[in-house]
Amino acid sequence: MASHDHTEPPSDIALRVKALESLLLDKGLVEAETLDAIVDLYEHNIGPQNGARVVARAWTDPEYKARLLSDATPAIAELGYRGAQGEDMVVVENTPEVHNLLVCTLCSCYPWPVLGLPPVWYKAAPYRARAVSEPRAVLAEFGVDIGDDVEVRVWDSTAELRYMVLPERPAGTEGLDVEELEALVTRDSMIGTALLEAR
Amino acid sequence: MPALTAETAVATLMAGASARIDVEVAAKFKAGDAVVARNINPAGHTRLPRYVRGKRGTIDKDHGVFGLPDSMAHGGGDAPQHVYSVRFSAREVWGAEAPPRDCFYVDMWDDYLDPA
Repeated sequence: MASHDHTEPPSDIALRVKALESLLLDKGLVEAETLDAIVDLYEHNIGPQNGARVVARAWTDPEYKARLLSDATPAIAELGYRGAQGEDMVVVENTPEVHNLLVCTLCSCYPWPVLGLPPVWYKAAPYRARAVSEPRAVLAEFGVDIGDDVEVRVWDSTAELRYMVLPERPAGTEGLDVEELEALVTRDSMIGTALLEAR
Repeated sequence: MPALTAETAVATLMAGASARIDVEVAAKFKAGDAVVARNINPAGHTRLPRYVRGKRGTIDKDHGVFGLPDSMAHGGGDAPQHVYSVRFSAREVWGAEAPPRDCFYVDMWDDYLDPA
């Protein structure tokens, strides 16, 4: 192929985003700094680091864990996390007997205040269809093998509730403090597509 | 309409807006009740997933009262009613070859359910 000395055009999605941004500004619907502020909010303040704090707290504080599992929204708000797409939260616990997996088969519902914005695969049709039609095969593709003696529970967020998985605390982490535990918790473990290990 | 400011946008996202409706409505079901998802196929909006239509499940939890999207999406009002987490076994949905222990929890409005 001949070498190119010109600049490649941006991707289709980048062009579409620029076009939408231009229209919002040209029509006077948003101020210039509004979109940057929203992007900054979800890049720096709202993301899976929030959920990791919730998980580490639950692992180290049995009374907090009980509040989290019985009425998640106020328990999560105790740590300062609340807002859009987390108004009515449910936390489901992984145990040696039960593995939980989250999906929104109808669209892309996801618990923003604790996990941020959903990954692309979570919103894609193959994950949304296969998480219910063959959840164990999907889990295997994520490297998660679930034994036949374990119940797989798939939570389809079809209504206004938003879900988060409380992953199992890995073995060998007894000596870690709460900040060290937070660092072990991954986004996917709180969706149910990963298990955690001590590092 | 004034342009949306950064301050308002961030405050709105941080505050959220629950779809819960603070009104007394009798619940048609309680935890443990056997139910069957209605086999409806509306031309308009619904949040009743096709894969559970006509399937039998069990009420796991009552989440309280919310507006019904099937009505709200078409300007028909809130139609407030209870939303339940309903448990369906994988075998009920996918047949005898599905793993025996696996299950689905689907959030469903009263209007999506009949007693089984």
